[in-house]
Amino acid sequence: MIQEKRGEDLSQVKSILDRYPRERRFLLAILQDIQKTYNYLPREALNEVRDYLGIPLSSLYSMATFYKALSLKPKGTYVIKVCDGTACHIRGSMDLIDEIRKLLSVSPGEVTKDGRFSLETVNCVGSCALAPVMVINDKYYGNLKPAMVKEILAGYGGIRGDWDTK
Amino acid sequence: MRVIIDGKECEAGYGEYILDVARRNGIHIPTLCHSGALPGQGSCRLCIVEVAEAGKKKVVVSCLYPITGEIEVTTNSERIYRMRRNIVRLLAARAPSGEFIKKLREEYGIPEETRFKVDEKEKCILCGLCVRACEEIGLSAISTVNRGTTKKVAPPFEEPPEDCIGCASCAYVCPTGAIEVQEFEGKRVIWNRAFELLKCAGCGRYFITRQQYEYIKNKHGIDMKEPLCDRCRQKSTAEKLIHLL
Repeated sequence: MIQEKRGEDLSQVKSILDRYPRERRFLLAILQDIQKTYNYLPREALNEVRDYLGIPLSSLYSMATFYKALSLKPKGTYVIKVCDGTACHIRGSMDLIDEIRKLLSVSPGEVTKDGRFSLETVNCVGSCALAPVMVINDKYYGNLKPAMVKEILAGYGGIRGDWDTK
Repeated sequence: MRVIIDGKECEAGYGEYILDVARRNGIHIPTLCHSGALPGQGSCRLCIVEVAEAGKKKVVVSCLYPITGEIEVTTNSERIYRMRRNIVRLLAARAPSGEFIKKLREEYGIPEETRFKVDEKEKCILCGLCVRACEEIGLSAISTVNRGTTKKVAPPFEEPPEDCIGCASCAYVCPTGAIEVQEFEGKRVIWNRAFELLKCAGCGRYFITRQQYEYIKNKHGIDMKEPLCDRCRQKSTAEKLIHLL
């Protein structure tokens, strides 16, 4: 798994903070913006937020670990969410996960070595009629069969390296 | 205002909590997360009682239920016993290792847990009293992290907490002794951070960490030329008063 990058450029954190008043109630919105910009919450960014809002670091850490949408480790450029809710599970979401594992060598919760994809399972995306469903960033792919996964991932550039030997 | 608790007539102020009235009248209601200094945590649910009001009975948490009318309270009915037994069982499944939990388990005759996976070493019931104590002190060096089955109390990034002054209030309020504090050779170790202990200028006993001493001085502006423990401070105040007379 990718370690936190050192010396992340934090200039964007300042411009995010500038958009919000110094009030505790904006904490979640700020963290969401940082997550969106950096694909994770860099530790130095959390320190900046703490100093800006004047709240203890423990509250930030508490919130950052509470919400699944927030992550303390870098996520991939493309976040693949495979739905493993009841409907998708029955219609073979595990086969999708196995296929992705085979193609990208990542397990749920991990990031590919090149940092381009991360794989997660989620409990329902509310599209049970399309089961099994996979979401990449904000795009939904429904009625999937394992054989379709490779082409979809190729649309995102696939994994760098010898793609076809697998 | 009159309330009846377990058949006993008690006087209660408007808005007073059942638990406080019961305790004042010598009626025992078991609690875990209740602390006189930090009341109303309401997370352990051990203090449930049955309240009869206008012919209707309901189960409430006595540490959080304000008395606003003439009610009749039963603290140990069959129904309450059964429910409380279940609560003890669940708490014991979560954290079987604390002394108080063990005692409760014996008291309620709860057998070895076979249905749930149990971590035999776990002591924390996640009541959050420690987090609140730290917040009251004004530091918030610890908080609850994660959620669901992985929820726990920890400092940020689970590293020795920067904001901690080693006062050990968190360990002091913990009802199950889940927070480890070690003291040896003039040092106190808590949350994996070591603090230097200062000796009392009166009796020479180690009693306060340097950070705690500085924090009290700065926060409250108390003029302490040298650290004095509770007992020696009382003694020195008394001596000063005698001189005044």
